[in-house]
Amino acid sequence: MQLIIEAIGFGIATGAVIALGAVGFSVQFGISNILNITYGSLMTLAAYVGLLLINHGVNAWLALVLGAVVVGVVSVVYHRALLAPLVRRGTRAIAMVIVTVSAGIILQYVIVSIAGPESHSYGEQSGSTLHLIGFTLSAGQVAIIVLTASLMLGLHLLLTRTTLGKAMRATSSNRTLARSCGISTDRVSDIAWLISGSLCGAAGVALAITTVSFDFSLGSLFLIPMIAAAVLGGIGQPYGAMLGGLIVGVSSEVAAAVSNPNYKDVVAFMILIIMLLVRPRGLFGAAWSTRRLMEG
Amino acid sequence: MAWEYYLVVMLVYLGTDLLAVWGLNLEFGVSGVANLAYIVVVAAGAYTFAICTLGPSSGNGGFQTYIGGFTLPFPLALLAGALAGAVVGTLIGVTGLKRLRQDYQAVAMLVVSLMVATVVSADTGFLNGSAGLALIPNPFADLDPEVARWAYVAVVAFCCLIGFLVLRRFTTGPIGRTLRAMRDDDTAASAAGKNVIGLRLVVQAVGGAFGGLSGALLAGFIGGWSPSAWVYIETLAFLSCVIVGGMGSDRGVSLGTLIIAVLLLQGVQFLPQISSSPGLSEDFGWIILGASTIIFIWFRPQGVLPERRPRYLGKSSSHSPG
Repeated sequence: MQLIIEAIGFGIATGAVIALGAVGFSVQFGISNILNITYGSLMTLAAYVGLLLINHGVNAWLALVLGAVVVGVVSVVYHRALLAPLVRRGTRAIAMVIVTVSAGIILQYVIVSIAGPESHSYGEQSGSTLHLIGFTLSAGQVAIIVLTASLMLGLHLLLTRTTLGKAMRATSSNRTLARSCGISTDRVSDIAWLISGSLCGAAGVALAITTVSFDFSLGSLFLIPMIAAAVLGGIGQPYGAMLGGLIVGVSSEVAAAVSNPNYKDVVAFMILIIMLLVRPRGLFGAAWSTRRLMEG
Repeated sequence: MAWEYYLVVMLVYLGTDLLAVWGLNLEFGVSGVANLAYIVVVAAGAYTFAICTLGPSSGNGGFQTYIGGFTLPFPLALLAGALAGAVVGTLIGVTGLKRLRQDYQAVAMLVVSLMVATVVSADTGFLNGSAGLALIPNPFADLDPEVARWAYVAVVAFCCLIGFLVLRRFTTGPIGRTLRAMRDDDTAASAAGKNVIGLRLVVQAVGGAFGGLSGALLAGFIGGWSPSAWVYIETLAFLSCVIVGGMGSDRGVSLGTLIIAVLLLQGVQFLPQISSSPGLSEDFGWIILGASTIIFIWFRPQGVLPERRPRYLGKSSSHSPG
């Protein structure tokens, strides 16, 4: 029983990182209607930017903030320079996926050719071990849980309480209508890509802080739990992605504790396949943005 | 001689790549199923070929563990590889049957590809885990090495010939027209009485068999097969051949294979080696591959040799990934 409680604690920490990534991924899909697979490689980029900074003596948490800013800016440029023009040229959704996969591979191998294929580590960043209500977590994990919770709260307030958030939600649900209401949808989507790219960067550095060592495949392997979380919550819906991240994190850590730890990702995968076959709109049903997933 | 050996390697790679690209073009270019897990069917063929020829797992001092373990004759092992590709291809195809957006399906298949690789690498008892299978016997081991190499080229060429004849049955004539109709508008196709779901599964099976045969031939030639040979990005190499060549066109994708798989990926081998980073030319290969895919989708989505438009009276429809 103790084992399972510990696993739940671990799962919340894993789930926090997954939620960070999945929310950003979902926001991008919601605002631009693009499934951006480059996201995984952008997380890897953030992890290596963090590594560079930490090797130069920067504090790990400052590295997380800087990594988030760098990837946020890169995401805006990437969307502006490549994805948005392709969409304007009428490129079909399926070709867009191939473009984002290709761009991810290019970025991944640019990273490899600069940083080399070997594994890297941030060194000991997790700090002392804490015991909280039966959970045993490192200070680093607790910090990431707190960070995720506050970022999610911040995003919630942004989306619900500000004009910008209202404009983002309007653009997400109907771009044409939003534009005819006088919303500058291009600027709104730039800001959305900046926010989601920053979440992507934060998730990449957070992932590297919590893992023992990482290499260039960090982000592409993380795509499995992240997409599972996004789909579970109904892709395009940030709140769904938060809950999805938590569910995927906890269930895969518990499964790893009671069976073979190598099969951690299998749980996420099973969730994804079952959701796709049974309820592709996500747990919370048919928000406008997810309805677009169906052909009919 | 070195150049002769190089030529043999190139011809075998060209042949196996052609088979795989034809299969993927049948699925993606002709029928509109974006199978980003295509490399999994190639792997299924290769592993099946390996366990059909390696003999029991206790052989060779038992240094590798795997399920099955038979000593089938070479042609039967090839057939088994193709069959395994067909079965796995159909299973993957089932995930694509739900009427979802095509890009959503493609991402699901990408995740399938990542997942299968993770499981096979983790489970050492199934197919020897991440170390993979080695010492797969060469069918012509008894012959003089030079004759054996060319004999293998002949086998690959024969398989390509048979493959091409089968392929044309599906990409031309009534079946080809039906598949293209399904790709362009599956609602209209089913309204015209075509069994869209059945057709999709048949295409997945046939395309899978092509991939399986390609993998089996490759495993027999290299003598080994491991998860590092079929990471998900390998699918992109085939996809790139399809897009650069001209999706939906058999001639186009064959030319695309020649350009991408042979000229481009082999060409980077001739870049000057930098001793401090030996893997650099391979990294460059992937970067160029990804870049050429994006460039073609941007500037020439119909590819070098586009699919021929059907000549009907009145307005003709065109199809391209753009």
